[in-house]
Amino acid sequence: MEIIKIITGKVVKWVFLLFFFAVAILPLVWLLLTSFKTEAEFISFPLRMPAAWQFQNYIDAVNVAKMHILFMNSVIIASLATLFNLMITSMAAFAISREEFFLKNSISNVIVAGVLMPIVAFMVPYLTLIRTLGLYDTRMALVLTYAAINIPISFFLIKSFMVGIPKDLEDAATIDGCSFSQRYTKVVLPLARSGLVTAGTLTFIWSWNEFIYALLLTSSSKVRTIQLGISFFTTQFRSNYPAMYAAIVLAMIPSILVYVFFHDKIISGLTAGAVKG
Amino acid sequence: MVIKNKDWKWIILFLLPIALVYLAFFIYPFAFVFVSSLMKWNGISPMEFVGFGNYIKMFESTTFQISVRNNIIWAGSLGFFQVGLATIVAFLLARRPFFWKGLRTVYFVPKVVSGVAIAMLWKAIYNAEYGALNAVLTLITGKEWSLNWLGEFHTALAAVIAQEVMYIGYFMIIILAGVMSLPKSYYEAAEIDGASVWQQEILITLPVVWGIIVTAMTLAMAYGLRHFEATFLMTGGGPGHSTSTLALMMYDKIGARKLGQASTLGTILVVVGFLVIVALNNTLGRKSLTGEDQ
Repeated sequence: MEIIKIITGKVVKWVFLLFFFAVAILPLVWLLLTSFKTEAEFISFPLRMPAAWQFQNYIDAVNVAKMHILFMNSVIIASLATLFNLMITSMAAFAISREEFFLKNSISNVIVAGVLMPIVAFMVPYLTLIRTLGLYDTRMALVLTYAAINIPISFFLIKSFMVGIPKDLEDAATIDGCSFSQRYTKVVLPLARSGLVTAGTLTFIWSWNEFIYALLLTSSSKVRTIQLGISFFTTQFRSNYPAMYAAIVLAMIPSILVYVFFHDKIISGLTAGAVKG
Repeated sequence: MVIKNKDWKWIILFLLPIALVYLAFFIYPFAFVFVSSLMKWNGISPMEFVGFGNYIKMFESTTFQISVRNNIIWAGSLGFFQVGLATIVAFLLARRPFFWKGLRTVYFVPKVVSGVAIAMLWKAIYNAEYGALNAVLTLITGKEWSLNWLGEFHTALAAVIAQEVMYIGYFMIIILAGVMSLPKSYYEAAEIDGASVWQQEILITLPVVWGIIVTAMTLAMAYGLRHFEATFLMTGGGPGHSTSTLALMMYDKIGARKLGQASTLGTILVVVGFLVIVALNNTLGRKSLTGEDQ
């Protein structure tokens, strides 16, 4: 009887593990297969393999959706937002983690508490703010917004990292005649590289995938991001759905690539935030 | 205010950028959304004070009532089902079964891919004519399925929620990190005392990681309350307003140039989100199951 119990336990365990494995991966596989089918195959045989692999769908996708423009906008916006975000959060994290001054813990707590804000609730103020700044329907609107929204998480990650860097190193640098800003650029920043990479990866992926504020703060196709572009595909590709799925596959590639290369950073960054916070 | 540090000028300079951006994107919106929630405002002409008029209008609207109901269903589904499933899978993975690292990596993939792509993908899976779900069901049951999952009143909400609940990767990883941090000696001691695997999980693992599970539930419920993206893309709130949420309604109000009412919904989101966090931490999170204060 004991053996039956153990076997049942194992079966139930693997049913669970494989079910979620399938849920995570099969829809994506289906999407990939669909993107290589003809329109007729796609409608009549949703579950079959493509009879002949239609690479033409990918060429159509790029042409119809003007993928190169969408891609370029997303690359520019996500990169600049990440850069800007890392600059301001690392400067603040440096001052707060390495120096003693009045109210420093309160300032730090207020910044980190921003992570609890339901950002989606700020649609009206953000729209007003961006209009007032004269940035409506520009890439800068999204650069600024994405950099800002990710302040709490980046600040938290970089600060936790900088706190652990030994003070002696800086004292030695001061004796050698390093100024405040040189201690930041030459001593602490290089040592905090790992924290910067984690925060930067999370900000980049978040910005690459963001949809709501791209929808609210931009309108013309010239500054449109890839995610916003996808949501317009249904009308653009009315006559060729498989090409639309090809376009969606292309849009997924950058975040999947970043995940492949940095998944340890991403996982450690996300767990650090939630477990300690 | 006393700053004794000799580098105080530098410190101010280094804190200035974050202070400006934080004020503009966190503090000011927070104040603005409260104030404008009391105004009649189309975004162009000056605001007109209406007191709680917008709130009364909201509470009387049917769409609002449906949205509140849906947000509660969302918060409950994510908070209990998604986190519950994530907990079970995390406990299983923590025992390091075959390929556990690979499984962990794969479970998280849908959370890295954009929500827009996932939503478009599920829209296709749920489609009445060419959707994969109907095709699979036809294959299994032998009957012809042509259900329009996202277009029917009785399936639309469940369909949108189900695809999100199944993606447990994020909470699973948080909980797994907690479970893995437990020393092996705990379990070895329990095994010597004759505790079964079930007893070990329920009497050792669960109490110790309870705090993390509550954190995950809090986050999940907060996400449920502010849900927007998948519904906006998959059903647009329809059929009728049956899948609407507060955030979706807020977006519609902005489109209709009723910015005061949109802010009212924003304020409700902020306040309710805050209450959920406080309430969960004071009930479930107050004591760990071992009886110690967290």
